[in-house]
Amino acid sequence: MSYDDVEIEDMEWSEELKAYTYPCPCGDLFQITKEDLRLGEEIARCPSCSLYITVIYNIEDFSTQSDQRTNKAIDPSKQNPITVA
Amino acid sequence: MEENDDKAKVTHRQEEDEEVKQEIWSWGAGTDGQLGTGRLQDELLPQLLGLPSLSSSGPISLLACGGAHVIGLTSGGRVVTWGRGTSGQLGHGDTRNSPNPKLVILLESHFVSHVSAGWNHSGFVSDTGSLFTCGDGSFGQLGHGDYKSHSSPVKVSYFVNSHVQQMACGMRHSLVLLKDHSGDPIYAFGSGKRGQLGISRGKVNSISLPKVTRGLEGAKIVSIAANGDHSAALSANGNFYTWGRGFRGKSDAYYPEHLTTSCCFIKAALGWNHALLLSGNGEAFMLGGNRHGVLNNPDKMSSAEHLLDSKEAILEEVPGLEGKKVVSIAAGSEHSALVTGMIFVFFYHGGVIKTWGWGEHGQLGLGDTLDQTSPQAVSLGQEVPSEAVEVKVYCGSGFTIVIKTRDAPSHRSGHTENPPRQVN
Repeated sequence: MSYDDVEIEDMEWSEELKAYTYPCPCGDLFQITKEDLRLGEEIARCPSCSLYITVIYNIEDFSTQSDQRTNKAIDPSKQNPITVA
Repeated sequence: MEENDDKAKVTHRQEEDEEVKQEIWSWGAGTDGQLGTGRLQDELLPQLLGLPSLSSSGPISLLACGGAHVIGLTSGGRVVTWGRGTSGQLGHGDTRNSPNPKLVILLESHFVSHVSAGWNHSGFVSDTGSLFTCGDGSFGQLGHGDYKSHSSPVKVSYFVNSHVQQMACGMRHSLVLLKDHSGDPIYAFGSGKRGQLGISRGKVNSISLPKVTRGLEGAKIVSIAANGDHSAALSANGNFYTWGRGFRGKSDAYYPEHLTTSCCFIKAALGWNHALLLSGNGEAFMLGGNRHGVLNNPDKMSSAEHLLDSKEAILEEVPGLEGKKVVSIAAGSEHSALVTGMIFVFFYHGGVIKTWGWGEHGQLGLGDTLDQTSPQAVSLGQEVPSEAVEVKVYCGSGFTIVIKTRDAPSHRSGHTENPPRQVN
């Protein structure tokens, strides 16, 4: 059974993992790639445990080849660099 | 355990002729270094930490455990952190993980009196009422008026003219409790999508500057708690208020709601889908948690979900405690821990640690990865039966930490209850 239903806009894009992520209760991250989303996959899995979430999204936002549309789902404010003092 | 080994393990500190011996044990998810063992692996059984670096800073008086990091506050007002540091949440000026406790140098000029750990952010309150935050700021949860992350503690300028007493960090939001407030006791910032800020009737995406949490005007709030998308507060007369994501499939609450019950509560701990409450009589209750202990078992879970229809009272007494007095509670994202029956006489008389809930990473400390639906006793090896012991338990998302303090000054003065405080 899915741990939770999470809207794609509540997931964060990780440049390092090349995936949309959402916190997993084990401490790691649920992950799903753009390719997964393009193929209609709606399950984001955690690499560390057995839990998974259901991702709520509009497949048209990912099924086209246009990067512009894909980028709409990424909130640029969430990719700020970390200020290192 | 050999006596000599025992002496080497514990922290000795001479303070006004009082010797405080402390043991710190950790277990559960550990791949980000959050167990403080120096190893990056899960532990299914309690591990005794050798913390030589802490002995000069005094015993730990409070721990805050987040998604995968830990903040330790020492009795001397110093701060140590360990675990995941990828968002700067350890406050060491970098974004590295630290598998061992490390002093937060940038807070050395302050006497820190309260700390809190969220999913990837941290809060520190000084005894003069200043608030400092660091870590992930993507949702405005650091309160600096922007969405930047910081790897060193930065003073929250919004509160320069206020006296901050406590901070509580959730997954993507933060609560602040003011001391001696006249009117509004709690401020909130960060993500508000599930109502966890309590600032408006409608959905709030994120705010990066603190705003007043509505609906608590005139309530004398003594402690706050946050975890996941939940927020909670306790008043001096034992009322429990909660807002944010609804428990047990109920709708989200956009303002604090008072839980109607005849019980008076002295402590609250929040998970991602449940809350634990401790009454003044030493009874433990759970709110929500219909999937507690059955997360790994879809069959059991679906039968538990059926109970939703029964519309019974959602506050349930924690089962299997056989009337034993509960003295400490803690909630991880999907597991729980408590301590029963300490009696402060001349000999060790209880202080049994019990855990239940999700166990896949060993966070229950029972030597396996099974889930448990009722509290199970955790063994910390051989006990020394001749000394008074204070046992405190803390939970991070997927891990658990216990601090045993022998001959603590509070025992000698006969105080059996600490004032309620926020736990993450």
